[in-house]
Amino acid sequence: MRRLLGGVTLAGLVAGLVMGFAIAPREATQGNVQRIMYLHVPSVWVAYLAFGVVLVASVVYLMRRAEAADRLAHASAEVGVLFTGLTIATGSIWGKPTWGAWWTWDARLTSVSILFVMYLGYLLLRGMIEDRERGARFAAVLGIVAAFNVPLVHFSVYWWRTLHQPPSLMKPGPGTMPDIIVAALLVNFAAFTLLYVYFVTRRARVLRLEAEAEA
Amino acid sequence: MTAGNWGFVVAAYGLAAVVLIAYWRFLVRREKELQGQGSGVSEPQASVSGHPRSEPASRSPLP
Repeated sequence: MRRLLGGVTLAGLVAGLVMGFAIAPREATQGNVQRIMYLHVPSVWVAYLAFGVVLVASVVYLMRRAEAADRLAHASAEVGVLFTGLTIATGSIWGKPTWGAWWTWDARLTSVSILFVMYLGYLLLRGMIEDRERGARFAAVLGIVAAFNVPLVHFSVYWWRTLHQPPSLMKPGPGTMPDIIVAALLVNFAAFTLLYVYFVTRRARVLRLEAEAEA
Repeated sequence: MTAGNWGFVVAAYGLAAVVLIAYWRFLVRREKELQGQGSGVSEPQASVSGHPRSEPASRSPLP
């Protein structure tokens, strides 16, 4: 099952690359650098998804004290941090040729950095507390609080005057992008979602094996 | 904005590839290590790193 998921994920990522580089046209204003979007936007989607799962799994853990829910929250937070880091890095690389700066203290960039630091703190907190049950409880509370930063990140481009453009796809109403670009983006969304599921299942399994080894 | 920005595209995708492959390799290696430990539990060397734990049946009851 895991091999199948890995194979499908790999095929999805290859399809995403083909769509982004061979099928989708060169964007008229930005040129080829716009192709970073097929990496940057699915990365932030996975980060949102991961922290949403942390929120739900943490609530379940606090209600039922189910270790599987705690492991899911832990694994999802780690993968979320990984993809948030990728979002920031790829955004910075994209920002240099389009904005003329690697970094600016724009509301979107600042809020996503705060999100990144909060979940990095979540992972550090888990590592610092020796009592597994106590660590899981504290982490669950932090995981829930930090997840409320996700809407702040997403809507920051509407609530504040920002250099970062508003969402092109993850917004209500009709889209403004050509269908072929939307299709390329959707293939990459699907591939990155599969990659998230693959990473989280593997990480959760490692966490279970670690817990068994310590017991 | 011109087509001369391929360097930024390669940098972004290259960085992502390196990070994702490194994380995948970390997961595979860690899982193998733990599975190796799990299969070696019955061997005498397995308990070297921690305090030996007595089996529940061999523990004396509380007074």
